Amino acid sequence: MYKVKPISGGHIETDLPTCMYKLPNIHAQQGNSCTSEHALQNGEVDPAVRALEARQDEIMRKLHELKAAVEGLAKTVTTPDADLDLTVSSSLSSHSCSSATFKGVTDLDTVLGKDLGALRDIVINANPAQPPLSLLVLHSLLSQRYRVLSTVHVHSSVTSVPPQLLSCLGPRHADSYARQMFQLGFTLIWKDVPKLQMKFSVQNMCPIEGEANVARFLFKLLAPYPSDPALATLVDSWVDTAFFQLAEGSAKERSAVLRALNSALGRNPWLAGPEFSLADIACYCCVQQSGSASAAPANVQRWIKSCENLGHFSPAKLLLQ
Amino acid sequence: MNKAAGGPVEVVHLSGCSFSSSGSKQSGASLTCMPSPAIGTGGGGVGGLEGWRPDRALVRVQDLTPDKADQLIWLRARVHTSRAKGKQCFLVLRQQQFNVQALVAVGDRASKQMVKFAANITKESIVDVEASVRKVEQKIESCSQQDVELHIERIFVVSQAEPRLPLQLEDAVRPDGEGEEEGRATVNQDTKLDNRVIDLRTTTSQAIFRLQSGVCQLFRDTLTKKGFVEIQTPKIISAASEGGANVFTVSYFKTSAYLAQSPQLYKQMCICADFDKVFCVGPVFRAEDSNTHRHLTEFVGLDIEMAFSYHYHEVIESITDTMVQIFKGLRDNFQTEIQTVNKQFPSEPFKFLEPTLRLEYTEGVAMLREAGVEMGDEDDLRSEHLARTYDTDFYVLDKYPLAVRPFYTMPDPNDLKYSNSYDMFMRGEEILSGAQRIHDAQLLTERATHHQIDLEKIKSYIDSFRYGAPPHGGGGIGLERVCMLYLGLHNVRQTSMFPRDPKRLTP
Repeated sequence: MYKVKPISGGHIETDLPTCMYKLPNIHAQQGNSCTSEHALQNGEVDPAVRALEARQDEIMRKLHELKAAVEGLAKTVTTPDADLDLTVSSSLSSHSCSSATFKGVTDLDTVLGKDLGALRDIVINANPAQPPLSLLVLHSLLSQRYRVLSTVHVHSSVTSVPPQLLSCLGPRHADSYARQMFQLGFTLIWKDVPKLQMKFSVQNMCPIEGEANVARFLFKLLAPYPSDPALATLVDSWVDTAFFQLAEGSAKERSAVLRALNSALGRNPWLAGPEFSLADIACYCCVQQSGSASAAPANVQRWIKSCENLGHFSPAKLLLQ
Repeated sequence: MNKAAGGPVEVVHLSGCSFSSSGSKQSGASLTCMPSPAIGTGGGGVGGLEGWRPDRALVRVQDLTPDKADQLIWLRARVHTSRAKGKQCFLVLRQQQFNVQALVAVGDRASKQMVKFAANITKESIVDVEASVRKVEQKIESCSQQDVELHIERIFVVSQAEPRLPLQLEDAVRPDGEGEEEGRATVNQDTKLDNRVIDLRTTTSQAIFRLQSGVCQLFRDTLTKKGFVEIQTPKIISAASEGGANVFTVSYFKTSAYLAQSPQLYKQMCICADFDKVFCVGPVFRAEDSNTHRHLTEFVGLDIEMAFSYHYHEVIESITDTMVQIFKGLRDNFQTEIQTVNKQFPSEPFKFLEPTLRLEYTEGVAMLREAGVEMGDEDDLRSEHLARTYDTDFYVLDKYPLAVRPFYTMPDPNDLKYSNSYDMFMRGEEILSGAQRIHDAQLLTERATHHQIDLEKIKSYIDSFRYGAPPHGGGGIGLERVCMLYLGLHNVRQTSMFPRDPKRLTP
């Protein structure tokens, strides 16, 4: 084709006006994507790379689970004064969403709602004739995890309670006059109620009744339920068995439960598989409260010793004396 | 015959049966008659107030139980009602909160005239009765003594009441709702207060004021056990303690003086005088022109002041423990009185926690914000929220902002916008306002200047802190308000015997 010589010569210096809004170049490439190194021509990430990353995450997760399991086993055979919480030791990685990991402090806001300045107080109304041992155990776990302000009150519907019920949450915190320094409140009120009741954030939540249900709520502040639905159901079923058949059942039902416990504990160190869970807390407390501990079969006895080795059950033991 | 002190009027022989009036026209046989022996061996007439002392033991109505059956007893009571039916006259005799049915029947012990005489005794008259106690098969539901009744042999009027009463006792005790439903009368509060002497005879009033006496008693006992000393402070003072606005002025010889708004200054001076822990029970005068359900111009103040060792929370704990002991004492020993009041004024029983629930002011604000409230009726809403969460009608709110407290309140050392002060609430209404007081003369002068108070007027007050004053704090409650809120009543005039407010100076 006929070529025309250029009319204007080379580069022209243009003075861009400074009073106009400058838009970024929409045709330029986005440089801050984390997959930019792997980006193909059209900006998508190579699926192969993605699959590789996913496999790596999965392997890391399994490694962490194994590590937690090994540590759990180590606990069951080591000395009684193991004061390292199994749950704390497994929260080493920051990425893994293994079921045994406890999430950090910020998740209290996710579970309970944003902190608006008032102390988030868990109020439990319990009958002094039936002290809730499992809740005391969960309270000591909570206090290790968060800054908890614990108080015990006696309601006017009850004339008097034995002194060990007044000190069951441990000694008074030195800073108890500065309520805003605490993340969570735990208020135990000894009251003449037919069924144990928990009130939290009365504007948004209705009261929760029954020791089993309150135990589930408190446990979820420490760790989520196992993500595997079968395992979660197993935990729930053990909790219900503990509170219905073991605590309130006849002698026949109790011995049936003890046999079931025995066979389950023959297969695994803990009731819900390789890890300590709410099922163990609930069953331990109900076994002790029903007085069947001394007559329990061999596996159950061994499991009772392992529970006690963990050290969280001391408030329950104190109350049983 | 003779008009002995408070004694009955005339004595006339029955055989002529002439009645003489004591001046005003009265309907019916308004006078007492002494029957002649010819009519019958029983009789009615003047009570024995002619100067001689009979050897008689009077039995209390509350002691009339089946184990006294067939005994002949004497008793003195008021005639609550009297109703004639042919040859019989039924009376209900009342003593404070107890009453018993009594019967005068024509027979060998009583004549027809005696029955007529008994039927015509005016209500509220005080009578002496000689009667035999009889068991009844069917319980008498309308009386407090349900298992017995009296068969009267002799009846004498000791003190007669005028036939037209300004208010009827049954009407005064009737609950408001019931009155509207059945079309029966109830008595409104002003009428009750104008005729307080009669209104106080009702079972409800008797119960209220017995409980109030119990509160005072428990207050004294609890504090004395804690080592407090009771003091009496002057009520005629030279300078207004809480601020110049709501104070009564009295003429004091050539100058004027004020009636004390609170024993504040003198309590503190006692602490500086090494009494360590003091309390006082006495009248408090507030010239507040508010006509509300909970304000009086004169009321009884129960005030506490104590020196503490390290933290003013020791004072809060002491005060709340005292309150809890009072509540427990009322719960355990005054159930009858509480039930009696509840019959006319139904309410929920008073609930509390031990140890007392204590929240901070900022926490209360945050709580309300969560509920979506920024300003307005904060006290009510906060109390309702706390009642729902903790099921308590009594709590303490700590660390109020400094700006709303009096000049002698100690500021919070950690945050000068707040103060070491606290309020206590019962059923959502404030009953106590207290704080740690400033015990340093220098700081006190600064705060007083800041509040633009004339230093000359409070010179002697400031002087008391110049010679070594321990850190101290305290608070005061109103007896009438505490009783009103404990029983769940709605007007403080019901718990004040002779209330004083901007519109009422008598009785």
